[in-house]
Amino acid sequence: MAYDRSMIRALYKKLIAFYPRDFKEQLGESMEQTFNDLCQEKLQAKQPLPGFVLWVFIETAIGIFKEHLLLISPGVIMQTLLKTFGSPPLVSLLIILPFMIMEIVNRRSFNEGFPFTLFFGLWLNLFAVSLILLPIVRAWRAQKHDMVNSVPAKGDTLLITPKSVLITSLVIILFVAIVPLLNGLNSEVFRIQVPNQFIAFAFLSLPIVLGMFAAKPIIRTLRAGGSLFAHPIHLLIVVAISLLFAVGFVSLILDQWPCFVGVPNCD
Amino acid sequence: MTATSPNQPLTPAVFHILLALSSGERHGYGIMKQVELDSQGNVNMGAGTLYGSLKRMLDAGLVKESARRIDPEMDDERRIYYQITGTGAKVLAAELERYKRIVTLAQERKIFPRTYGL
Repeated sequence: MAYDRSMIRALYKKLIAFYPRDFKEQLGESMEQTFNDLCQEKLQAKQPLPGFVLWVFIETAIGIFKEHLLLISPGVIMQTLLKTFGSPPLVSLLIILPFMIMEIVNRRSFNEGFPFTLFFGLWLNLFAVSLILLPIVRAWRAQKHDMVNSVPAKGDTLLITPKSVLITSLVIILFVAIVPLLNGLNSEVFRIQVPNQFIAFAFLSLPIVLGMFAAKPIIRTLRAGGSLFAHPIHLLIVVAISLLFAVGFVSLILDQWPCFVGVPNCD
Repeated sequence: MTATSPNQPLTPAVFHILLALSSGERHGYGIMKQVELDSQGNVNMGAGTLYGSLKRMLDAGLVKESARRIDPEMDDERRIYYQITGTGAKVLAAELERYKRIVTLAQERKIFPRTYGL
């Protein structure tokens, strides 16, 4: 247990190292102290640590991303980019980022290739959940917002419109599919892995599309001021499909957790 | 991002941090706990949000780092404390004044009882 705690603290220290240098020098030590205090509080209250640690890592990773954005893209461009945090591809990417960091940091001494397929799988599961649920959440929040403010919320930005979500997704998918090509066109990887990835993606696309279609009338009703439960069958389909992908994501994380924390021969 | 002029509205994170520091110097964990207490558990600030806001507040001169010392209620580690500056206090006062005006306006228009059932 003590080993786990010191390992978690060491991992958090490594995560903080990804902040811009100025930020890290000014606040890094204080952040570490605060994280240690929060862990101590959870342990004293006998509350489970993994969920809390995961939340802190994700929240900090988003903070790191924001700080870098603030440095590299001032003004209007930065504001536009910050708004796109709500886009499904980026939300999914940000959530898996801490695991990618853990993989890189903890397995660097094992001389292994980066598991693109695994992270694509993780990303795809989250992407499916966020693609189906985020528009419903936005419509629901906009409806609540309109109850106290008649000015409609501006929801659509560069990456949240359906067309740009599709383009972004295709770019990421193509990127993941093209990576094995770097190993050589005649290799076993190209002949087996790439077609398999496309078949798997095509298979997984069906429930995603079904979920999006089921979500449509719910979103329409919410935008018109109706109830979330106006289409119970559609809602059931949406919840079931989202749950399926959420379980897929959690199962992959649990299955691969030993690898993320650096256990040798974990597969 | 952070308001340096008393006329600019504050973000919720900056407002809550200033409010937490208005009653005394605190370290990061202390700020988190005070924010949670002040908001009656409604605001649960993560480390990324807290320190992102603190960075901009330090840059804007709303808060400053004070001497490191041991928190008598915690372990014997020397912690980094933060304190509100004169500018920070003025900005917080201006924000509270703005809230007060809005509440007065809402009371005058009798919005409270109808919308919030008070």
